Formats: sequence, C-alpha cells, structure tokens
Amino acid sequence: MNEFTEAARLFFLGLPTHDIMGTRWMWPICESIHFIGLTMLIGTVGMFDLRLMGVGRQIAPADLHRLIPFGVAGFIGNVLTGICFLSGAPDQYIYNWAFRWKLVFLIIAGLNILVFYSALFRRVRGLGPGASIPLGARMVGAVSLAAWLGVITAGRLLTFYRPLQISPGKWVF
Amino acid sequence: MTPFFIWLEHTDFSVWVRESPSLLAFPFLLILHAIGMGFLAGMNIAIDLRILGVSPRIPLAAMRAFFPFLWFGLIINVISGVSLLIGYPTKALTNWVFYLKLGLIGMALMALRWTKNRVFDGPEITTGQLPGPARSVAALSISCWLIAIVAGRLLAYTYKTLMSGE
Repeated sequence: MNEFTEAARLFFLGLPTHDIMGTRWMWPICESIHFIGLTMLIGTVGMFDLRLMGVGRQIAPADLHRLIPFGVAGFIGNVLTGICFLSGAPDQYIYNWAFRWKLVFLIIAGLNILVFYSALFRRVRGLGPGASIPLGARMVGAVSLAAWLGVITAGRLLTFYRPLQISPGKWVF
Repeated sequence: MTPFFIWLEHTDFSVWVRESPSLLAFPFLLILHAIGMGFLAGMNIAIDLRILGVSPRIPLAAMRAFFPFLWFGLIINVISGVSLLIGYPTKALTNWVFYLKLGLIGMALMALRWTKNRVFDGPEITTGQLPGPARSVAALSISCWLIAIVAGRLLAYTYKTLMSGE
C-alpha cells in the first residue's frame, strides 16, 4: 500500500496499548466502553439534533444543550478506545473500506459541528421555548443525526469488510 | 432443549439470518440493533439525567416529545434482537450472560414504564414536583442500561456453543 497507510500502520503498532489489546479481556472491555459512548452520543447529541429539527419545541435549545457534555464524554471514550482497537490490529482497519467510510462520516460530523458553533450557535442559544429554529440550524441538526447514524452503520460493518479474518470462516461479532 | 434448537436453526429464516451473503441479512440486523440501542437506551438515559437534576430548566413535560423515538428504538431492537436470536438460538440461550442482559433490559423497561406513568402522565408533571422515588428509578434505569450494554457486548466472548447442529 502507499506510504501514508504504511506510516499509519507503524504508528498504531508502536503505541503502548498494542500489547495489552492482545490480552483476553481488553478487547471486550474497550468494546463495552465504545458502545456506551455511542449510546451517550445518540442519547444527548442525537436528542439535541432532533430539537434543532423541530422536536420538543417547548424546550429552549440552550437548556437541552446542557446534556451534551455527557455525549462529548462518551465520544472522548470512543476516540480513546478506537485508538486502542487500531493499535491492537491496525491491518483490520486501515485496509478496511468500512473503516474508511466511518472516517468520512466522522469528518462530515466534525465539519458540521464547526459550522454550527461558528455560524449558528449564538443565534440558537438565544431562542426561548416555542421559538422556531432557523432553517440553517435545522439542516445542521439533520446532517448531524444522519452523519452519526452513518458512523454507527459503517462501524458495525467493519467486521464484514475485514481484510483478514481471525480464523477462516469465523467472524467475531 | 437441543432438538428445539436444531429445529429452529434449520428454519428458512434462521438459515437466512446466518448464511445469506446479503448485507441486508446479518449485518443489517446488527446495524439496526446498535441504532435502536442509541435511541432507546441513550435517550432514556438523557431523560433520566434530567430527572436526576442535570439541566433543571428543561421542562419535563416537554420531554414527552422524545418518547416516540424511544418507542422507535424499542421496536427495531425487539425485531432485530429476535431475528438475531432465531439466527443463533443455541449461542444465546445456553449463555447465562444472555439471561442477565434480558433481565437488565426488563428492569430498565419497567423503570421506563414507571417513569412514563408516574412522572410524565402524573398530576405533578407541570408543577415541577417529582414523585418521591423518581430519582432512584432514574438512577436504576441508567445502571440497568449501561450494564445491559456491557452484557450484550460480552455475548460475543462468553458463549460456549455456537450451534446445536453441525
């Protein structure tokens, strides 16, 4: 493969978490944290996205936004455990098309967040209960929810696009 | 139970779930199960956090608007969960962790029912007063969902028998 993927492979193989990811329980422990993070993210950020799209109009967006730190905490856990997975078996990810799609959806979600906080948050924060949401913010909410569902979809497909199986014909799911 | 498992594993639907090369079979069921988890457990936890006192300015009554999304998550997870169970009945039903997961989900759903009936459909909803045990029920709900998620993940690592047949 090209230089970039090879450099990424060596980088993740060299991380100190590489060895412990090979022990019996580290993988399921990290997966558990990863799924809890996913749940916190959809529960709070997804709920805020729905509010932007017009659900729960009697809630001032700024008040619902106070739940978002729980989703951010979940996401930080996901990034850290995600790095652990990559360090444990980098080949399973960097040559995996589902993983590349997952990164694409993550980038879309990230750029969407930048648009929201740089251009729209100040206006949305000032809205009271019952106020209608500007069209731009509604679209940001829809893109955010769609992007996170895309991240989950691609993430769940990782297993089926692995370049190497753990053993022939035996998937771990 | 083994003859029942063998029969179930040979039904067309079970074979389709396990063996179809289509992404709409096994992979799609897993995707649905993860998304349903986010909507049901995640948004239930968000409602629990509000009951526990995070962001008290959110009017509780207005949070009713999110219940349809919890029901949506519940429905797709019952459908995807039962389908996955039909695909690999022996794998799940011979593993005590699976019963732990089901028990925890049952408790979380009972907590949700209590909260829906007593907090959201109760007379105090607009006064800002919570029924006495509301916070304890919310804490129980969060605990059950989080442990159920961990138990669900451990199913892939704790099963003893994948299939009763060959």
